[in-house]
Amino acid sequence: MNSIRLLIVDDEERFLSTTKILMEKRGIKTLTAPGGAEALQVLDEARVDVVILDVKMPGMDGVETLKRIKRKYPLVEVIMLTGHASVDSAVDGMKLGAFDYVMKPSDIPEILEKMQKAYNKKQAMEEKIRKVKIERIISHPMAVFEKNGEG
Amino acid sequence: MNSTKTDRRGTKKFQRLRRIILSRVLLAPFVILMIVCGSLVYYFAINLHAQVESELVRIADDHRRLIDQFLSERVEDLRFIEISNQFEDMRRAEYLSEIFNKLQMTSPAFFDLGVFDKHGNHVAYDGPYDLEGKNYSATKWFKAVFEKSVYISDIFLGYRHAPHFIIAVKGISSGNPWYLRATIDTRFFNNLVENIRVGKTGEAYLINKDGVFQTRRRSGGALMEKDPDAKIYRNVPDRIISFSAADFRDDKYLYATGRLKMTEWMLVVRQNFTDAFTPLFRAIFVAVGLIFLGGAVVVVIAFFLASGVANKLALADVEKREMGSQLIMAGKLAEVGEMSAGVAHEVNNPLQVMMSEMTMIKDLFGDCRPGEPIEKQTIDLMKDSVEQIGIQINRCKQITQGLLKFARKSEANVRNVALPELIPEVVAMVEHQAQLQNITITQDIGSGIPEINTDPGQFQQVFLNLLNNAIYAVRDEKTGEIRITATADKDFILVTVADNGCGISPDQLEKIFVPFFTTKPVGKGTGLGLSTCYGIVENLGGKIAVSSELDAGTVFTIRLPVNLKAGDRNVG
Repeated sequence: MNSIRLLIVDDEERFLSTTKILMEKRGIKTLTAPGGAEALQVLDEARVDVVILDVKMPGMDGVETLKRIKRKYPLVEVIMLTGHASVDSAVDGMKLGAFDYVMKPSDIPEILEKMQKAYNKKQAMEEKIRKVKIERIISHPMAVFEKNGEG
Repeated sequence: MNSTKTDRRGTKKFQRLRRIILSRVLLAPFVILMIVCGSLVYYFAINLHAQVESELVRIADDHRRLIDQFLSERVEDLRFIEISNQFEDMRRAEYLSEIFNKLQMTSPAFFDLGVFDKHGNHVAYDGPYDLEGKNYSATKWFKAVFEKSVYISDIFLGYRHAPHFIIAVKGISSGNPWYLRATIDTRFFNNLVENIRVGKTGEAYLINKDGVFQTRRRSGGALMEKDPDAKIYRNVPDRIISFSAADFRDDKYLYATGRLKMTEWMLVVRQNFTDAFTPLFRAIFVAVGLIFLGGAVVVVIAFFLASGVANKLALADVEKREMGSQLIMAGKLAEVGEMSAGVAHEVNNPLQVMMSEMTMIKDLFGDCRPGEPIEKQTIDLMKDSVEQIGIQINRCKQITQGLLKFARKSEANVRNVALPELIPEVVAMVEHQAQLQNITITQDIGSGIPEINTDPGQFQQVFLNLLNNAIYAVRDEKTGEIRITATADKDFILVTVADNGCGISPDQLEKIFVPFFTTKPVGKGTGLGLSTCYGIVENLGGKIAVSSELDAGTVFTIRLPVNLKAGDRNVG
């Protein structure tokens, strides 16, 4: 539970492999996906805390992928990676629930910093949810049995 | 844009506009004014002519009657004396004197009175002269009165050497004829005629049948002189007729002439044309003056009005042109903005890769300790990263080069090009690649395609680009087909490249010529191919167009002029 689990989505294969090595070195468990569809597949199979998502990709583009991720995994934080000179698409992303955006080109420390913040936010959120659940169990112990499937 | 040239063109256009407006504003009123004035003057002239003519005719008629009446009265006076007196009494001087006194009381025009026997001897006379005893049997008047019993003479210079005319009547006394003759005071008679005045020059005079003046003519012509104009008078019995004619001095006159009933004299009333038509000339003078004055005012007003209108039109035109150039400018700026966004995006991707590689190398350096051997794996990783940076730099280079190619509008190297030869050459360049992908290329080049005046290198670049795009479009088709046609259309050549590939969606079709727009994956296309083609074709004075249907295919059409004129080329 201590290490951040990261998913990088970008169509630049070399960027994916290099960043993966760099992140792993910094103790971050990193998964990669070359496109939006693959990213959703990865999310289905593995547990991920933060997604770094390129805005412009062939096939399913970043904004569309963000929508789907947020619909299916609302707690997963997404950081948009944009190559556009304008921040329009990044702002669009924020409106759709992205945590923050990073402008290309950006170095690893910058990405790490934002990623850490996103992770902290997710942790805090999960903590809050846990507390609410515990409180609910304490006040209504029977609720545990009513909706056991929910976790 | 050359501003002085534009200004000059503007001024020229302004002047032309003003001229058109002026001519339209002025022409219609002037034509109407001229017609109105012309017809007014014409009818006035006709009316005036009739008026003057009838005036002359009236005067002539009145005075002819008056003179006839005068003459007939004098004749009657004499006849009365002849009838009421006997020759025997009349030849006595005292008796004659008494009769003459009575006669003078009836008319002061009688100057003297004489009595003649049947032989023409002057037997008695009463008057200022001493004429008794002379024989007149040979004179013209005596012969005439002998035959006609009444005779009125022309004016003549008799024994008295003074102009006079006589009235003679014949009487019969106890079977023998005798004659009574009276002289009429010519001055008295003249007054009747000479005092007639019409206008300034209107005058009247009498001439006898030989054209000798019987009265003085005011404008020249003494008594007894021959009238030089006698032949122009028209002689119609019992009627006054009017006509216009030039006299011997070539002055034009309006005439009214009529013959007397009592004699063969003719009364002539005439008025100088210029005098008779003075009111007309005055009217024409005033009308012309008014036309010129009014015309000048109208011209001045119209000039200012036309200038104003033309100025406004010219200004509007200038504004329109400025607006056009502003729009073009705005379009260019938008293009630049779009392009720079595209450039940034395209360059940022490789930069991102380079940045992570740099971090990698830094990390690897951080792992190395001085004096310790470096692991082979670290060296490999470093090498790999550096190579990757090189690859990414090349990517950037391609982008900037493409951009430069797009931006640079090199001067076309124009010469005569035979497309039926050039097209197969270019097709040959891609044929091998097409065969590998099982794509068939058919060429349908129409006969009679003229040589065109264009840049073969640039054409090849465009055509090759279109072929490559077509090959890319049909890459997933089982039976890829590319069809090339070339046809002549008047002064243009149409070259089409059609494929049966994936097609282009309408929203992508809109942006297809926009720089950096691409549907290809990262690193595969710069998005500059078609925008460059567009620039080149425009530069060659042509047009490039595209039509496409998803999953059916795409057709690109290039339309190039046969003769590349300097004006067609959009340089700069």
